[in-house]
Amino acid sequence: MMPGARRAYDSGLIAAFVGSALLFLVPQFFFIRQSLLPNLAPGVVGDTLSLENYRAIVTDAFYWGVFGRTIGLSVVSVAVGLLLAFPTAYLLARIRSRVVRWLIVLLLISSFVSVVVKVLGLTLLLGTDGPVVRALHALSFGLWDLRLVHNDASVAIGLVQYTLPLLVMILFGVIQNVPPSLEEAALVHGASDWRAFRRVLLPLLWPGALAAALIAFNMNMGAFTSAVLLGGGRVLTVPIMIQRKIILETDYPNAAALSLLLTLAVVLVNLAALKVRPGAFAATHPG
Amino acid sequence: MRISGKHIAIGAGALFSYVFLLIPLAVVVGASFDDGAGAYFRFPPEHLSLRWYRELPAKYWHGLELSCLIALAAAATSTLIGALAALGIAKGSLGRSALLETFFRLPLQVPFVVTGIVFLQFYYLLFDAWRVSLIGSYAGFVLAHLFFCIPYAAGAVGSVITDDLRRIENAGRIAGATEWRVFRRLTLPALKPGLFSGFFYAFIVSFGDVPVSVFLSTGGVVPLPVEIFQTLQFEFDPAVLSISSVVVVLSALFIVFVQRVVGLDLILPGARR
Repeated sequence: MMPGARRAYDSGLIAAFVGSALLFLVPQFFFIRQSLLPNLAPGVVGDTLSLENYRAIVTDAFYWGVFGRTIGLSVVSVAVGLLLAFPTAYLLARIRSRVVRWLIVLLLISSFVSVVVKVLGLTLLLGTDGPVVRALHALSFGLWDLRLVHNDASVAIGLVQYTLPLLVMILFGVIQNVPPSLEEAALVHGASDWRAFRRVLLPLLWPGALAAALIAFNMNMGAFTSAVLLGGGRVLTVPIMIQRKIILETDYPNAAALSLLLTLAVVLVNLAALKVRPGAFAATHPG
Repeated sequence: MRISGKHIAIGAGALFSYVFLLIPLAVVVGASFDDGAGAYFRFPPEHLSLRWYRELPAKYWHGLELSCLIALAAAATSTLIGALAALGIAKGSLGRSALLETFFRLPLQVPFVVTGIVFLQFYYLLFDAWRVSLIGSYAGFVLAHLFFCIPYAAGAVGSVITDDLRRIENAGRIAGATEWRVFRRLTLPALKPGLFSGFFYAFIVSFGDVPVSVFLSTGGVVPLPVEIFQTLQFEFDPAVLSISSVVVVLSALFIVFVQRVVGLDLILPGARR
């Protein structure tokens, strides 16, 4: 490559880096500082730096429960999401048919519509007056009065709705990079379908699947649409607590401390996952 | 072909996913045609009417317009930044730097709700220091959305810059092409799927966002998902069903348009059969 061309690429990178660094680091710096300041009254922040806000959260068993529930809901939703996304992505990637094109169109439409709209549909469907509850009630001769909203399960359903299109799209790309001939070779040599999946496909998919799972996990950890609308204020997650601190209590320092602890939890889970599988983040598309 | 347990498992899983993803949308569209009194949503609809389309408040249309404009600006800008970053990392004088790649992925580690608060507090500070008012402003939304759009765009563009591309470019140089010609005739066409899919993903994430935008909305400047979210949280307004249905239909038209005009494989590589 000519030096001039390399210089052009370098200056592009510098421009992108400086712009992103301003955007990524400057607001975060003030935010971290804010988390170290005392909250004197709603909206009034003092100016002595201390770790008091963190101490108050870390020593409060209530917050441990909230963090545990947030991580638990996120993990369960990712697991369910992967279980649903894998067969879907496999079908889209492997079947050669014109129908697949329309299935992909449907998937993209679903990914385009905001999760609020989907959650709205879910509340209609699962609500106490909704068709699902009425059908179960009728089918069980009035014995089964299932509650499908305002609990952990409904929040998890909302989170799966949130991340499933993205999981399918990522796994679709990953599965396409595995030539079908590899599986066929295993089958020709007498492996069962299950064995071909476990010994051939899974090891090749694993890094991409883990990267997809981490992206979905991170999305779940920061989401509160489904927790607010499907949890109905009964399912307390960290994002909901942060929102309450801001909107109800106008307590910015404590919201900042809680936010940074949430970010820390996300980073720790990601680092642990990378330890299990180094390089999981290598250029998986998207992200 | 023999139908095996594998086919049944794959088929059942895929069918369930599609039903799960599409039923809520169908329910929203169906319920929007109910002529209810407005206290509750009803599905299936009892009296069909277009009442909630005729009485659609202007704030929802403004929200939709704002969301589209934010997503367009955030997606276009982040695709540009992502492309510069991915090209610079792959072809610049630093060589492929894992540290730089990690840097451009950093925002993926920040939960959306946290991003919202970070920018809310930052905008307060800017206002206190310089009287720059970004809360509830178009620029304020776009900046905060850029934060989480850049990693998607950089990742999408980065994934199409391969060793093959480098070899093809070298072949072009050996054949006597100028650097500019190599870029325009070889690099840029190869980048096209990455640019399109980066733009598309960034647009999706921005267009549907609630947890970031909800903190940055004030007064009349509210993106549509936040408008719907706040309506559902505090009151019941059947008009959210009709505006949501409008979004579903517009999204469907847009995707079919993309499929017909540019092809789906530009968005989701390998999607064309």
